[in-house]
Amino acid sequence: MTLAANSPVPPVRPGAVLRFLHRNEAWRGYLLILPALGLMLVAILFPLGSTLMMSTWSLSGYEIARTPSLDNYAAMLGHPMYGVLIGRSLEVALVATAVTVALCYPMAYYVAFHVHRHKALWLMLMTLPFWTSYLLRVFAWKVVLGYEGVLNTALVGLGVVETPVAALLYSQTAVTVVLAHSWAAFAVLPIYVSLEKIDRTYLEAAADLGDGPWRRFWRITFPLSLPGVVAAFFLMFVPTVGDYITPAMVGGPDGMMVGNLIQAMFGPMNNWPAGAALSVVLMVTIALAGLAFLIVGRLVRRV
Amino acid sequence: MARFTGFQPHSRPLALYAALFALFLYLPILFIPLFSVNEGVYVRFPLEGFTLDWYADLWSREPLKAAFLNSLKVAGSVAVLSTVLAIPAAMAIARYRMPGKGPVVGFMMLPLVLPGLILGVALLTLLNRLGVTLSLVTVAIGHMVICLPYAISVLLPRLIGFNRSLEEASADLGENPWWTFWRVTFPGILPGVLACLLMTFTISFDEFFMAFFLSGTSQTLPMYIWGQLRFPQDFPSLLALSTLILLVSFLLAFISLRLGRVGQVTAEGRA
Amino acid sequence: MDVLDQLAAVREGKLSRRAFGRSLMAVGISLVSIPLLPRRSLAAAEDHATYFTWGGFDIPDYFDEYVAKRGELPNFVTYGSAEEALQKLQSGFVADIAHPCLSDVPRWSSTGLFQPVDVARLSNWADVIPELWDVPYNLTEGKPWLIPFEWGQTSIAYRTDLFGLEGEESWNMLWDARHAGRLGSLGAGGDVWWCAAIKAGVPFDQIGTDAAFEKISAVLREQRPLIRMYTDDTTSLDTALAAGEIVATMAWNSSVVSLAAQGVPVKFARPKEGALTWVCGMMLHAEAPKIDSAYDVLDSLISEAAAVFNMRDYGYGGVNRKAFDQFTDADLEVLGLSRNPAEVLKAGHFGVPQTPEWDRRMTETWEQIKLGF
Repeated sequence: MTLAANSPVPPVRPGAVLRFLHRNEAWRGYLLILPALGLMLVAILFPLGSTLMMSTWSLSGYEIARTPSLDNYAAMLGHPMYGVLIGRSLEVALVATAVTVALCYPMAYYVAFHVHRHKALWLMLMTLPFWTSYLLRVFAWKVVLGYEGVLNTALVGLGVVETPVAALLYSQTAVTVVLAHSWAAFAVLPIYVSLEKIDRTYLEAAADLGDGPWRRFWRITFPLSLPGVVAAFFLMFVPTVGDYITPAMVGGPDGMMVGNLIQAMFGPMNNWPAGAALSVVLMVTIALAGLAFLIVGRLVRRV
Repeated sequence: MARFTGFQPHSRPLALYAALFALFLYLPILFIPLFSVNEGVYVRFPLEGFTLDWYADLWSREPLKAAFLNSLKVAGSVAVLSTVLAIPAAMAIARYRMPGKGPVVGFMMLPLVLPGLILGVALLTLLNRLGVTLSLVTVAIGHMVICLPYAISVLLPRLIGFNRSLEEASADLGENPWWTFWRVTFPGILPGVLACLLMTFTISFDEFFMAFFLSGTSQTLPMYIWGQLRFPQDFPSLLALSTLILLVSFLLAFISLRLGRVGQVTAEGRA
Repeated sequence: MDVLDQLAAVREGKLSRRAFGRSLMAVGISLVSIPLLPRRSLAAAEDHATYFTWGGFDIPDYFDEYVAKRGELPNFVTYGSAEEALQKLQSGFVADIAHPCLSDVPRWSSTGLFQPVDVARLSNWADVIPELWDVPYNLTEGKPWLIPFEWGQTSIAYRTDLFGLEGEESWNMLWDARHAGRLGSLGAGGDVWWCAAIKAGVPFDQIGTDAAFEKISAVLREQRPLIRMYTDDTTSLDTALAAGEIVATMAWNSSVVSLAAQGVPVKFARPKEGALTWVCGMMLHAEAPKIDSAYDVLDSLISEAAAVFNMRDYGYGGVNRKAFDQFTDADLEVLGLSRNPAEVLKAGHFGVPQTPEWDRRMTETWEQIKLGF
């Protein structure tokens, strides 16, 4: 796995290739990214292309008519359902992600700065709960949040409420809680990684200049950890918008998100073209939202 | 520790917060062992009496055992391979000036946006056209595709702003790039690599859609578990298996802790 | 867990980084290349057909006859949702036998993925109850597309301790505003639309008319605010009923059988308007690679032993007439069956297949209603 073995033009003398690569930074970069990118190119372009193409097809009876048109997209504009579902999905994903990242930051901070031995163990301890199946965790949450569940029993027992709160489960609240729980480890890891790399001498210098702990945090630690925060936000937000398993399991009728409709289109409605079109719209929406985050993130870092 | 720690005395509020956070993470998980020793089939209160039958039941469940082992193999391979692919890719993204880098990075994040269902259906269609036989290898490939964006995103923050003067020093001393990578860069990004391995293993171990569409006759554990939704009778055995997985992974974490303690003195100078 | 040990070793300084890197690579390569390939010992399984079915039907109990003849079990691939299964098949996955329901036959057979079954090759065929398969849309040139395997009714399962029943059992129970937010429902149009038609008083032979569409949608829209969960997975539904999360739900017979076995006070209603009858079974893939073995699988699945197991352990109706001799009249009564299965079938409502256009309109309307539109 040396650089020479990876070179794109084997017949050329290896020395020359190495010299070329040594001089040409861009090519060195491309070469490093090639294995991962190659796999992605093969595995993503086809699904993406076929989704785009299928979104322009239509149905007649059980058959798919392959005459391209934009009817599927036009149909979406004409019905309020799509807008409402996409809006709700963005809202749920945004709230769940913001809550999760905010909750995970102090935890990542604790491991990065206050745990000196066995950091790896701490990371393990945070990931281990997720080596149990998602489905089983959902059933566990149902025991906690259910109408006659642990939380409701406690609330009624303590006299906080008189009758059990039905909205704890099969509601948007339940979707948010379960999502926040499922993604906690995935949000901690990138934040931890970026906190861990912060050069401690910066903090030392700031202390020498008379900065207190809060000031040090806001001026040095937090800005330097932003790449991790942005990564965590992005990694959780993007897949969450299109999630449909969590709403299907704990969302109840009013917690359904756009992913549930896409699933229904590919499933029982058997309308793959419409499902593909809605997926394209969802992807574009998420890409725009992601772009907005990146721009905001960049602005924040500049300030 | 040679590292600077002077400003960070042990913080009580933060330690308390960590404890609460752990409680939130583990609270629902604790019900899994609890219901795995409950006589009743349904996950509900009140409990109906203690039993270990569900554990005994596991031994006779060949398909479940096979599914578990399959998942372990797939997740292990996926974790290592996607990390191995992600390290150079993340290095290239973090460090090299390449025309078209933005679009390339955006493209590599696409699996996050594509619904798992679509990706699964499309990849299965593709593999079919190529005449590839479905097996755990195709499942692993599918998992690598969805794990790579995570792997790269976890490594990137570590590499951006990585202090390169050490690498430059190593290069100036005449070390070849490969050697510099192993001696200087890799130890520097080790926490990121560890996070990356944990993350990709966890994703692959619990992934359902790719596994469902890209598998042949051998199933993974999530497939087996989701397949049980029609009949509740087997649900407690799944809880028993999950409890065992938790126990064994805790045991392993504990063992590594003991090993770490022995090596502490050696590790101090290197940290 | 090698990775962990390795990391510990790195920390101890026992292992150089180079060795660590090498072993990491070796672990990766060996993990991928060796164990993922099918093991040689499994080669024998190549001679058997693959049965693509719901988890829970992949058990030896159904295959006494098959094992007696061929020595081993067939191959199984399981799913938790028939829709996902069809998607996988449509994307090119080949399994000799799949497991849909009779009402799916028009759609599934239209994919061109299946072939009609030559019943002359099934030794147990003469004992199969004809009412379960002898319907026009299941036949092409006299051969059935679907071989029945289990059947039952879609009705109301309710907690006798929590649901305040007033008067006769009826579909109105699932429209009872006293229990708003504590009612459940199945999620598939194939069940719900037809049950709503019974509730709305639409005769099944008129279900295709515009007036019927209006009536049924209105009834379902009226019901939605009362519903806590729409789901097709029995485990979630049964657990919710057992935990008191919901007090009544649309359900299949099997739910009540397994809940009652756990001591949950629950009853399967016999609504005065009648229940919906359904049949599920096996379809044969058009390019089934192991066709001979596949026929033996089918034959084993319609055997007396398999039917007895279905009735006794899962609470479904068996398809083999001989199986009924093994039960007393009282047992059959509990299962919601009778000595003469045709009676039960005649008393219930049997879905009438409709055109693809109807199917599309129905599922589209239903999915929109579920989402609140």
